[in-house]
Amino acid sequence: MSSTTEEQKILEGIVAGDEVIITAFYKKNLPYIRKYILQNSGNEEDVEDVFQDAMIFIYQRLKTDSLEIHSSIRTYFYGVCKNIWRNKVRKNKKLVITEYLPEDIEIINPTVFKDLECKEQEHIYRKHFLKLSDTCREVLCLVFQGMNMKEIAKVTGYSDAYTRKKKFECKRHLIEMIEKDPAYPELQSNPEKE
Amino acid sequence: MERTPEIFDKIEAYLSNSLSQEDAIIFEQEMAINIELQEEVEKHRIMHTTLADQDTLAFKEKLIRISNKIKQEDTTNTRLTNRFTVFKVAASIVILLGVGSLFWHTMYTKNQTQGLDLYSEYYKPYPTEDIIRGETNKKTKEIVKHYTSGSYDSVVHLLEKHPRLKEHEALQIYLGNSYLNTNQEEKAVKEFKNITNKGKYYEIAQWYLSLTYLKLDKSEKAKTLLKEIIQYNGAYKDKAYRLLIAMKK
Repeated sequence: MSSTTEEQKILEGIVAGDEVIITAFYKKNLPYIRKYILQNSGNEEDVEDVFQDAMIFIYQRLKTDSLEIHSSIRTYFYGVCKNIWRNKVRKNKKLVITEYLPEDIEIINPTVFKDLECKEQEHIYRKHFLKLSDTCREVLCLVFQGMNMKEIAKVTGYSDAYTRKKKFECKRHLIEMIEKDPAYPELQSNPEKE
Repeated sequence: MERTPEIFDKIEAYLSNSLSQEDAIIFEQEMAINIELQEEVEKHRIMHTTLADQDTLAFKEKLIRISNKIKQEDTTNTRLTNRFTVFKVAASIVILLGVGSLFWHTMYTKNQTQGLDLYSEYYKPYPTEDIIRGETNKKTKEIVKHYTSGSYDSVVHLLEKHPRLKEHEALQIYLGNSYLNTNQEEKAVKEFKNITNKGKYYEIAQWYLSLTYLKLDKSEKAKTLLKEIIQYNGAYKDKAYRLLIAMKK
């Protein structure tokens, strides 16, 4: 199989959510990203966050047909990871970058760079939303789809009053979790509005 | 700013443009002089925009699942590598000490590997059918969902703060199993030992406790428990008997 076909297969696998392809990509590239982040003031949690944020960035770009890669997917991915981490480090002045990455990096253009910065808050919201209970996620998903309390109550089988109470509690809990995230105050002090 | 249902409703109405023109103007004027309200509206705006994208959320969830799977594989590999390293060191010493010691150490290592092999062969997570039947509690359903999907970290997280854990022995069994699957064997031992009532779950707890000892290479403790299970003459008698025989080989 040619490398171009392989690359194409990886990109198609990512956008289709193919678990086998994504797992293979994850396993193959995680050690490089881990090495870079751990050598540049990060910890294991940072590795996971940066890796997944970069995957989401690529996924969203593929979904909107706006991914422009001039090198291999691997090189592009490393570039995205590096930029995400540099942004985080820049906002947390205690951390230091020693400039090391075991692969060549594709130069990310300024528009993409800006987009990466804007996505940071979204990643925090998503990360904490997925930590909510199933009930909270169910109710809030319907809220975010634009349903009103009566419609949500009908779908879930809860009473109107319980639905409203649950919506408030879940939203408040989510906001509180986000506010407690160590990365959140840094984003607030460097707001990147879309 | 104190968060109340009324404020949330108003922010949502404002963001979805369902406030009357007059109310929207009043709300914007309030925002102009109240920074906290302004920030709160912004948080809601990002929340609604970001989390309405269900595809990306599902993708993120998939990444978390994959990451957990890889971590679990890594832990298992590390444990095996560590064991292999121990074996290598032991083998070097054995060569120095002579053939007699070599025999002893080889047997010891064999027992260790055999213990893990037997553990893998005999260990099956405690099934959830027991708890699913007639279960209406949402929290429990959520725990069962994580347990059956292999998200043992989440089960541990939910059960460790479960208010009724102490009075619900089935949940203690699930927590013990989840500890076993997240390489927290010492905690698993403690959890299974907590079940002291000689009821239905006692035998189950003893069975999983014996497997935990097996995993920890405490084969004598495991054997003692297996003998007790055989004497107890319950549902795990046959399994315990087969395992005990296999351990003696």
